[in-house]
Amino acid sequence: MKAALAAGALVVAGGLVFWLASAPGTLPAEALAGLEDGDAARGERVFWAGGCASCHAAEDAEGEARLRLGGGLRLETPFGDFVAPNISPHADGIGGWSDEAFANAMLRGVSPDGRHYYPSFPYTSYARMRPQDVVDLHAFMQTLPAVEGETDGHALGFPYAFRRGIGLWKRLNMHPGPVVALGDGDEAVARGRYLVEGPGHCGECHTPRDGFGGLDLANWLAGAAAAEGDGVVPNITPSEDGLAGWSAADIAYYLESGFTPSFDTVGGAMVAVQENMAELPAEDRQAIAAYLKAIPGRPDGHRPAP
Amino acid sequence: MKKAVFALSVLALSATATVAADDPIAVRKALMQANAGAAGVSAAMLKGEMDYNPAVAKAALATFYGVASAFGDYFPEGSDAGDTRAAPAIWEDMDGFQAAVGEFRSDAMAGVQAAGENGPADREAFQAAVGPVLENCRSCHEDYQLKRN
Repeated sequence: MKAALAAGALVVAGGLVFWLASAPGTLPAEALAGLEDGDAARGERVFWAGGCASCHAAEDAEGEARLRLGGGLRLETPFGDFVAPNISPHADGIGGWSDEAFANAMLRGVSPDGRHYYPSFPYTSYARMRPQDVVDLHAFMQTLPAVEGETDGHALGFPYAFRRGIGLWKRLNMHPGPVVALGDGDEAVARGRYLVEGPGHCGECHTPRDGFGGLDLANWLAGAAAAEGDGVVPNITPSEDGLAGWSAADIAYYLESGFTPSFDTVGGAMVAVQENMAELPAEDRQAIAAYLKAIPGRPDGHRPAP
Repeated sequence: MKKAVFALSVLALSATATVAADDPIAVRKALMQANAGAAGVSAAMLKGEMDYNPAVAKAALATFYGVASAFGDYFPEGSDAGDTRAAPAIWEDMDGFQAAVGEFRSDAMAGVQAAGENGPADREAFQAAVGPVLENCRSCHEDYQLKRN
C-alpha cells in the first residue's frame, strides 16, 4: 500500500515536473520597452529577409500575390504534415495582434493564447532577431492585404501531436545566441551572420537534424536530407563539398539572379527563397555571401537514410 | 573575347552536326553548354566584370537564338534514359515543353532583332534585350529539369 502510494506520488511529481518544465515561456514585460514604433518601410526589408512569403503565400505565387499571406502550404515531413497558417492581417490570421503577441510568436514560439507553436515555424532562428526588427516587420505585415479563411490544422502522429511536449524540445533546441563565433571586426560578415542565422533562417533547411528534429549545430549549414521527400539540401559551407568553388560575388549573384556560377539555375524550394533574397538591397546579399565565406568549411552533413 | 564567343557558338553548332544522329543527350547537353557560355559573358558584362562590347552582346543573343531553334529537336522518345537531368515531365507533356522552348526562341529572336546590325548600343539596351531571354532559363528548368542531387 505504501509502495503504491509512493509510486503514485512519484507519477504525480513527475507529471508536475514535466508540466512546469514544458510551460510556454513568454517574453519579459520590458522586452519591447524603449523601442521605436514599428516602421513599415524598414519592416519590408525584414519581411524579404525572413522569407515569410515562401510558406505563407500561395504556392507558386508571383508578384503581388506573394503579399497575400493566407497560408495553406503543406510541409509533408516524417513527423507528419505541417500546414502554414494564415498570417495576413485578417481576423482569420494575425489581425488585431499586439506587438507583444507578435514578438512572443517570433522570438519565443508562443501563441497569443499561450500555446507552443511547432518549430516548423522557424522561431529557433527568429529568436536571434533584434526586437526592433520584429516590431518593424509587424508594422509592415499590417499593411498587407487581409486574406479570409483559416487553413487546416497540422496532421501529426503520436507523440508529436502532443503540443505541450514542445516545451521540452525548446529547452534542448532554443539557442538564441550566435551559432558561429566570428570576430566583430568585419561589418559585412556580422550583418551576414545576423541575416543567415536569424531572419533568413538558412540553417533550418541547410543544417542536418537529429531524430527529434533538433538542429545539429556542430554541422551548421553543412547540408541535410530534405525535410520533404528524399532529396538533399546542399552544403553551403566553404568546403570542397560545399561552396569552396564559389566566390563571394558568385553567391551574391546567385541570390540576386538565381544563376549558379556555371549558369545552371536555382531549383526546388530555393526558388522562392531566392526570389525573396532578390528583393533585398545588394549590400545584404553581399553580407550573406561574406558570412558564408567566413564560416568554417565542413564535409557534407547529409545523413544516410535510416 | 569576341572570338571566344563566336568560337563557342560555332563549337556548339558543329557538335550538333557530328553527334546529332546517334546521341541526342550529348547534343542537347552541348547546346545547353553554349547557352551557359552565352549567359556567362552576358552576366559578366551586365555586372561590369567585363567591359561592355556590343558585338559580344550580339553574339550572345545569336547563340541563344541558335540554341533555342535547335534544342527542341533532341528529345525523341526513349532519350529520357541515360546520363541526363531531363525530367520525365518533358515526355509526359511534350506540347508544354515545346511551347516553353518556343517562348525561349521567340524571346531570343526579339533580342536578336533588338540588337540590330551592330549589337545593343550600351549595357542598358543589352539588359533590356537579354533580360527576357534569361528569364526562360529558370522557368523552363523548374518544370522540365531534374534537380542536381
